[in-house]
Amino acid sequence: MIPRLRPGDHFVGALLAGGYVLLLLVASHDVAMSRDEGFYVDAANSYAGWLRLVGAPFRCDAGACRIACTEGEACRTGAPCVDGRCAAPVAMSCTTASECGVHRRELVDRFWAPNHEHPSLPKTMFALFHLADERYELFSAPSVGYRFFGMLTGGLLLWLIYVFGAQTYGRSAGLFASLAFALMPRIFYHSQLDAFDVPIALMTTLVTYAYCRAIGDWRWLPILGLCYGLALATKHNAWILPLIFLIHMAFVAATERRHRRFGGAPRVALTPYWLLAMLLIGPIVFVALWPWLWHDTLQRFGEYAGFHFGHTHYNMAYFGVNYFRAPVPMSYPWVMTVLTVSAVTLVLALIGIGARARALLPFGLEERWWPNGSVRPDPRRTDVLFLGCLLPPLVVISMPWTPIFGGTKHWFPAYPFLALFAGAGFVAVLRHALPARRGLPTAVRGWAATVGLGALFLAPAAAETAHSHPFGLSHYTYAAGGVPGAADLGMNRQFWGFTTGSLADWLNRKLPDGGTVWICDMTPRAWAMMQADGRLSRRIRSTASLVSAALALVHHEDHFAEVDFQIWEAFGTVRPVEVLTYDGVPIISVYENPRRRQR
Amino acid sequence: MAPVPPPGRRLGPSPLRRTWLLLPLLAGIELVGLATVRARVPAEADWRGAAERVREAWRPGDAVVVAPSWAGPLLRHHLGDLLTPSDVGRSDLAGVERLWALSIRGHRPEEAPPSSPAVNQAFGRVRVLRWDLPVERVVYDFLAHVEDARVTLERGGEERDCPWRAHRSARGGGLGAGALVPGARFDCGRPALWVGLTTQETLDLEPRRCIHQRPADPGALRVTFPDVPLGGRLVLYGGLYSEDERDLEGAPTTTVVRVDGREIGRLVRHDGDGWARMEAITPGGRADVTVEVSSPNVARRSFCWAATTRPAEAR
Repeated sequence: MIPRLRPGDHFVGALLAGGYVLLLLVASHDVAMSRDEGFYVDAANSYAGWLRLVGAPFRCDAGACRIACTEGEACRTGAPCVDGRCAAPVAMSCTTASECGVHRRELVDRFWAPNHEHPSLPKTMFALFHLADERYELFSAPSVGYRFFGMLTGGLLLWLIYVFGAQTYGRSAGLFASLAFALMPRIFYHSQLDAFDVPIALMTTLVTYAYCRAIGDWRWLPILGLCYGLALATKHNAWILPLIFLIHMAFVAATERRHRRFGGAPRVALTPYWLLAMLLIGPIVFVALWPWLWHDTLQRFGEYAGFHFGHTHYNMAYFGVNYFRAPVPMSYPWVMTVLTVSAVTLVLALIGIGARARALLPFGLEERWWPNGSVRPDPRRTDVLFLGCLLPPLVVISMPWTPIFGGTKHWFPAYPFLALFAGAGFVAVLRHALPARRGLPTAVRGWAATVGLGALFLAPAAAETAHSHPFGLSHYTYAAGGVPGAADLGMNRQFWGFTTGSLADWLNRKLPDGGTVWICDMTPRAWAMMQADGRLSRRIRSTASLVSAALALVHHEDHFAEVDFQIWEAFGTVRPVEVLTYDGVPIISVYENPRRRQR
Repeated sequence: MAPVPPPGRRLGPSPLRRTWLLLPLLAGIELVGLATVRARVPAEADWRGAAERVREAWRPGDAVVVAPSWAGPLLRHHLGDLLTPSDVGRSDLAGVERLWALSIRGHRPEEAPPSSPAVNQAFGRVRVLRWDLPVERVVYDFLAHVEDARVTLERGGEERDCPWRAHRSARGGGLGAGALVPGARFDCGRPALWVGLTTQETLDLEPRRCIHQRPADPGALRVTFPDVPLGGRLVLYGGLYSEDERDLEGAPTTTVVRVDGREIGRLVRHDGDGWARMEAITPGGRADVTVEVSSPNVARRSFCWAATTRPAEAR
């Protein structure tokens, strides 16, 4: 049986979550919106337009749907209130008021079509927090309103890792795992964003937890179905989970059958009710949360899935080669993990896997191959489940037919389980670090060793993460020789143009009277968000014309090399007026148009 | 679930029993290593000092590079006023008498000869190196005389001039756009059919200063340089914009070089060849040199070339 958690455990989890969210709130001020975040802000704004209409008093007026309003007050649509009616955002014919409403295809398509290559849940949450911020002024800057949901999922994931780890390997393991996850530099960066990568890591871990509970307790079945629906509505990584669980279930079934053969009482259900819950409830929740799928559901789902099956390749530099089409070397996600996660965390995870190795063997083999081991698998084969969730995200990215997605974020769902094994490794080390000695009471020595060694083992990760800010995606750990070492190795230096935020103060000083900037990998929306946040003067405008811009940026990434050369021709100089560096490695070059200087 | 045994309990033989102490050591190495990486980053003053050293001794015929190459923006930030796109986008070291290098992290520039540098001086964490090179003289650099050329488009047996436009607007820019279309260029009537000096990203993602001359279809686009001093050898480099070549799906390009109408050499290059080199023997004296580029399928054939004439004996 899974040990019952005490309320104190959830207090610890909540403390971890709250502390992390606070840290992220403070840190995110330094991180400019990235390219993709800009797209999601646009989508969230569109969804927010629909959400504003939910519950609006529609009425059918002269064959057209209208929204009733009070004279002198603003309409929910943003239109003026005239004769007690708002102009509807789109024309919708009707014969009775019951035909009018936000479910109408015209309205759904108007507001939910943007960014339909990704499911709705994260963007809906970005929109809801944005609306809440608009109404109650909750956050210090507009961008935080959009980003808060991402931060919240980062915090909640720490809570969940703690709980999962505490129940599986003990509280010390859970706490260590949670902190080790929080202190992965790239996790810390992505947790600050309005993007899907940390939310889906939370959702896949949550579904795994719910599944683990549901195979032994039917009361968890609807929760599992609901969680799976939320995961499906977050990102398509969730598709693979039933397959992982089916393989895991084979281990569970073998263990359970043997247990019952020897007269044991049933501990887990062998009938795959869990699968029924996932497949029946999950899709309903998924569709219910995504209005765009309310019409032409199958055809639109096909369009959504087709986008990911036929995904374009992104550029990615890896050991001096700029890969622009599959396959990248199979080592890519594994090596990138080694180069971006603290070595101590990784070694502890390997120790954890090694310490739990006997429990990872298929049933029957552990007695044959490892008869004298003391580690025994639990009825739910949780170790196998953890390994089963750790490996697939990395293996999928390794496959030669997988499109080049790029960043480490694409296998983030593996990292909670990497951290959990690190927690198991930490506990295994603790056992050997605490020889029985006379003197101090055992409990005191245990606490001292746990805190002391825990702090020592987490210190490199903490130092790496602190130093990675606000350059998260440009950061490499000491295993790569740090940032300059990674540059020597020819690794990707950044993507999404997020580093522009580190130039905001310089740009404000350089263009006190305003001007135009060609913004390279950044999007105009991300640029506008820096202005909305008050970090960048509104008089400094982004422009699509490189040739006529006052300043031009180059985000140093292999495939942007051509932009450097274009600027040399456009401006007649090879000399950047400013080079933003991180540990001495160029991140952004800024060129000044000589025509501006002459003015 | 697996209970955590009380502290002090031994669980039989384990490799961890003696080796767990390596973990605090690993943590220490990672912490110290991280601090060391940061401490070894060259300070701005180091770059300034090194740049000043080069600037003080700079003379015509000098070139400067940086090692490792990823530090290129820092080199150009500090010494960019001494450099032109032609310097940074050179094809080889012909004409260079002295090669300077700013080196960090112990890197040696790829262009450096195997000999020891004549100058080796440290400015903090930036080292200034200089090699005196055996000069391969350049008699005539076609890039420096592009305005003197005559560009013609032959179509249906009729040849017409493409006029030189010195003050048009530059066009282009952005990811995937290829080389910028310069403001000064020969225009041949269609947006893609122009000849002019630009800097193109080649297959190795390096900058190459070159004369853009796509093959025409239909017709033949020729660039003729009048009264060129020949010297004995002609060295030509050519290649495509990286994105036009990297898929290895394009047709080959053929570049034919004629001296007073007689072919002296041709460069046939296929996708994947990158910035390819051709060398041809020329007569001495002076003559008109014509370069013609063709391809059986001109789609995405953004050909660009650089050439020089040099003395017959390469030193």
